[in-house]
Amino acid sequence: MRCLVVEDEPNTSRYLCNGLHTAGFVAVPCGNAVEAQQLVDASAWDVVILDRLLPGSTDGMALLERMRARGDRTPVLMLSALGSTDERVHGLRCGADDYLVKPFSLDELLARVEALTRRRPTGNGETRLQVADLQLDLRSQRVTRNGCPILLQPREFRLLEYLMRHEGQVVTRSMLLESVWEYHFDPQTNVIDVQISRLRNKVDKEFDVALIHTVRGVGYRLSAVAGDRGA
Amino acid sequence: MPDIRRSVVTQLLLGYGLLVATSIAVVSLVFYFGTMGVLQQNVDRRLIYIANREIRFNMDHPGALAREIDRQLGDSINSDTEIFQLLSSRGQRIVGNLDTWPSLPDRGPVTAHVLRYGRPALARLLRISLLDGDTLIVGWELSEQELIGRLVLRSLAAGALISLLLIFGGALFFRHLIEHPIAVMRRTAHEIEAGDLSRRIPVASSDEFGRLAMDINRMLDRIEQLMDGVLHVSNAIAHDLRTPLSRIRSRLEEAVRSGDGAGSPGEAAVAAIGEIDELILVFEKLLQIAQAESGVHANAFEPVDIRRVARDMADLYDASAEAAGVQLRAVDGGPVLALGDRNLIANALASLIDNAIKYSGPDSTVEVRAVHAGEHVFLEVLDDGPGIPEAELPRVTTRFYRIDQSRNLPGNGLGLSIVSAIASLHGGRLALLNTGRGLLARIVLPHQPAG
Repeated sequence: MRCLVVEDEPNTSRYLCNGLHTAGFVAVPCGNAVEAQQLVDASAWDVVILDRLLPGSTDGMALLERMRARGDRTPVLMLSALGSTDERVHGLRCGADDYLVKPFSLDELLARVEALTRRRPTGNGETRLQVADLQLDLRSQRVTRNGCPILLQPREFRLLEYLMRHEGQVVTRSMLLESVWEYHFDPQTNVIDVQISRLRNKVDKEFDVALIHTVRGVGYRLSAVAGDRGA
Repeated sequence: MPDIRRSVVTQLLLGYGLLVATSIAVVSLVFYFGTMGVLQQNVDRRLIYIANREIRFNMDHPGALAREIDRQLGDSINSDTEIFQLLSSRGQRIVGNLDTWPSLPDRGPVTAHVLRYGRPALARLLRISLLDGDTLIVGWELSEQELIGRLVLRSLAAGALISLLLIFGGALFFRHLIEHPIAVMRRTAHEIEAGDLSRRIPVASSDEFGRLAMDINRMLDRIEQLMDGVLHVSNAIAHDLRTPLSRIRSRLEEAVRSGDGAGSPGEAAVAAIGEIDELILVFEKLLQIAQAESGVHANAFEPVDIRRVARDMADLYDASAEAAGVQLRAVDGGPVLALGDRNLIANALASLIDNAIKYSGPDSTVEVRAVHAGEHVFLEVLDDGPGIPEAELPRVTTRFYRIDQSRNLPGNGLGLSIVSAIASLHGGRLALLNTGRGLLARIVLPHQPAG
């Protein structure tokens, strides 16, 4: 996996590259928009991490717009110190696939980068998701584990669907709030944890093998195999 | 006397003083010359009448004019003012009461100095050439007119003097009237500048100065309130942030010295990161409040169905409510629209629901509803918990403020401040009411008509 890190602040850049490297990415740092433009043009990338504010005449937003105008669909995660909803919406409208506000934790960033690179197109005729003995039927909205039906409320169903679509990946609390409830704010309470724990009661409690794992300080991961990180 | 250029009041009064003085001068002059003109016209008319009479007499009784004039001079009618002088064609006096007289033009009366009965006098004279070659001068001594003129002048001068005194006195009075309230305002401003922000301008009247003073006082109230807020925040930051910071510091210090069984450096770092994340959260909240209060979002507002938001947030918190043994309900219905930022409104409502679940305790009911009430829409969270003590109500939206009995519960004292800031960003407010059976937290937003 090749990742281009466009960030002008050297400390942040080094921090990002180290983190990405540890997570198994080949991270290439780049400090200005002109160079970034050349690098984007020269080769294909699996993901681009783009700082919104860059020195010089072209900023991150302009670079992104140019990429999209040329039909470049490379996933872009935009970083910004500007955290208001407007800024976020603007960034996403300009073609960013995700938007992360500084300061962020490395885990949050890695979880999102992973989600971007392993993104599968949804709704392409796929009607059934399966992880180990857990089955989720999108058409009939039914969930079974080891053949036993599990009764879920509609939102729990969507929560489980999201986890299963990101099987093996770490998903953070804010990713869940954004994707399952479609709200973007930081609830700063354990509201998502409580939701997960209720889901876990229904999905894992009666069975020997737990599928929903807590990744400490980061979020959750649904996987047939336990382990600290699913990457 | 202050420098004129530096005092608007002095400039104003000086200007008006000059204007009034000039007006008085102009009026006086017009009055004086008008009066004198009328008096002179009267004399002239009389002279022309006398002249005509004498001409007719001369025509009716040729050669008898000298005697007639002599008779008139001796008849003691107007004898102290009338002037007659009959001259022969060679310019010698035939009869008359002038000792010297100037040469006179043929037409029209003139004013001249003469010697009458050996006494100098100012007189109005008219010269008439008679048919028989003689010249008749009729005239009128102007002593009376002079007297009237002097009297008028004296009256005008006295009037002007009194007016000037009034102007000067009035100017001093007005200056005091204007400068006094300004001086009071400046004194208050200096006191505030010196650090006493509690000073206010005394409002002594309801005139322009009084109203200005009230406006300034209101502004000062607001500034003081904001300053108090800032002070409170910095105190709270000093208080609330120092504790976790010193915890982080001591733990890391311990880890650096390590080896004495106080925990591995890795554990210390993990703990420190946890603490720092907490701090970042607090800062983010503060930033969020600041952003909401400065109104930076308002340009991206769009119609939001707040009943939908109410349902979604109730849905988000259903598991938490279940875990706390609280029954959480969202009242259903059609869309209720408000203009705003969906995520901010959701954030505010989430805070209120979170509080309600946290504070109302097990076996209570929390109801979330969105209602349309005329010009407004209400986003309400109603619980049947203990409520908030009335005395605490006005203060709970203050940043970092925490009710004493809640200090042991998790939270940073910023939740309601954010809700309140978000509500005012949307042109609304947060109302907290003790209903008797619990607390009603209501976000009031302006209604957005559909379409």
